Amino acid sequence: MQYISSSNFAKFLENLKSNYDVYVPVKKGDQCFYKKYIDFTDDIVIGEVRAFEPLKSFFFRAREIVAENFKSDIPHAIQKPYCIVGVKACDLKGLQIQDYVFENHDYQDPFYINMRKNNLIISADCTSTIDTCFCLTLDIKPYPIENFDINLSVMGEYFIVEIGSQKGQNLVEKYSYLFEEVRKEFISQRNEYRKKVNKSVEKNIKENKVPHQDSFKDIIERGYESDIWVDEANNCVECGACNVICPTCHCFLLYDQKDKNRMARLRIWDSCMIKDFARVAGGANPRPELWMRLRNRFEKKFDFFPKVANIYACTGCGRCISACPAKIDIRKVLKRLVYDV
Amino acid sequence: MMYKIENPYRPIKAEITEVISETPTIKTIRVEPKEPIIFETGQFIELTIPGIGEAPFTPSSRPAIKDIMEITIMNVGKVTEKVHELKKGDIVGVRGPFGKGYPMDSFKGKEILVVGGGCGFAPLRSLMYELFDRSGEFKKLFFRGGCKTPQELLYRSEIDDWAKRKDLDIKLTVDKGDSEWKENVGVVTTILDGVEMDYESGIAIVCGPPIMMKFSTKKILDMGFKEENIYLSMEKNMSCGIGKCGHCRIGTYYVCKDGPVFTYDKIKNFSNIWD
Repeated sequence: MQYISSSNFAKFLENLKSNYDVYVPVKKGDQCFYKKYIDFTDDIVIGEVRAFEPLKSFFFRAREIVAENFKSDIPHAIQKPYCIVGVKACDLKGLQIQDYVFENHDYQDPFYINMRKNNLIISADCTSTIDTCFCLTLDIKPYPIENFDINLSVMGEYFIVEIGSQKGQNLVEKYSYLFEEVRKEFISQRNEYRKKVNKSVEKNIKENKVPHQDSFKDIIERGYESDIWVDEANNCVECGACNVICPTCHCFLLYDQKDKNRMARLRIWDSCMIKDFARVAGGANPRPELWMRLRNRFEKKFDFFPKVANIYACTGCGRCISACPAKIDIRKVLKRLVYDV
Repeated sequence: MMYKIENPYRPIKAEITEVISETPTIKTIRVEPKEPIIFETGQFIELTIPGIGEAPFTPSSRPAIKDIMEITIMNVGKVTEKVHELKKGDIVGVRGPFGKGYPMDSFKGKEILVVGGGCGFAPLRSLMYELFDRSGEFKKLFFRGGCKTPQELLYRSEIDDWAKRKDLDIKLTVDKGDSEWKENVGVVTTILDGVEMDYESGIAIVCGPPIMMKFSTKKILDMGFKEENIYLSMEKNMSCGIGKCGHCRIGTYYVCKDGPVFTYDKIKNFSNIWD
């Protein structure tokens, strides 16, 4: 394993800028937001917790043109690939789901593939938790173990560097003068830090009595006719915040610009909580009631994805808990499904 | 670097060559795509009205005709309303075909019962022509169709021609007849009795409005057809066509890529399949 000082890491990022659009988490208020990297300013936070916005927004854009005037090319220009720094383990799992949907599930989506291809993911350990973190429930550690190119563990003014791909390896070799071999005591110290954060997530989970994913098998089928759904959907205002903020939600609406002379087809993020999501033109709607749509959202994440892709489409990032104006708490719904049904 | 995958969201330009009024609310448009679109019967396409949007339809024409496609469309929504204003020479867009159609090869040597209701005649017209084109491959062919009134019966003159075919046993019904209607009056399930075929090994194909599909399937199951031999054409909110946008999911399937044709056993346990 390697080791890099933050001043050398700044040089490393500076070099990456020539081949990548580099994005870093920048603190604003009590949250971090991805911002385009210019200089290694003090407000850049590599550690702490996941950024406000889900990682999917880089690759599956909230709004993009997917067709123009019958032309057969892929309409948007390919800029430099993204290098995203400070990605947390929960968001890496989110990307795994998006990759499955857009790259592997029978058909490929050229837009996502174009954006995702050649990018560089420099992930980082969580150095703290917030009270909505529950990644361990989904068997995700608060530090990345896979699906990154390079991972950073913050050690004061230094980072421990772990390589996760050939691409990462090549870059570290190319700029080897910026890195040094890590000293053994730092690794044991890193492991101590990791344990501490792990304990903090454990405490969250214990306090909220969140059941582990090992007990999720068949909870949707068992709880399908339960009154939990009506109860939980009671305060839902159908805003769709849970969908847009979710790193695994991938549904979209194809929408044609209302201009007869310049045909442009856009795709925008969509929400399965909205009444007309599954409605057909003839008027039939398989999920006319809000509680049915809430149930459907959970069905998609905890029944559909495990059945078709052997993975729960939840990362334990807790974003939907913070985003929901009605205080619908995914942990509580899961708890009720496991224990009360 | 650019990936060489075709853009699945791009419609192919197509010209309207004819508009046929079928009933007061249903029209058939004949389109000529500028690039070949070869479909299997039962597959669907997305039809774009420039500046308005797109909607899914199953072509009603003979799949063997490659350069022209016919689509029969009822005026029910914002896209179909504009479809009804189309004239010869207008430009539309076509994407597809998408999904899985009827597995014609697995019907070989079988007795086949086709049950249609109302607008469900549209995709079934395409299927019937495919069945006629491969007539020798099947043991027996039955068509049982129903709609609300004689005025709403699609493809009337063509169906009169079908009735003359030796390889087809056909019966029609309407919910409410008129002075000229000589055939059965009643819902479609009332003409399913007495279909002379072996239900145990027979194939049943059902397409129509949800309520008709629901009761026809129930009746066909009661008759003794096997669940895995009942083919249903599902209408959901298919949009992207490739299982990404999420709108048409039922249970573990996306209707757009895994359907729209499903055998009953595959979907019977999912909730709200008829809604």
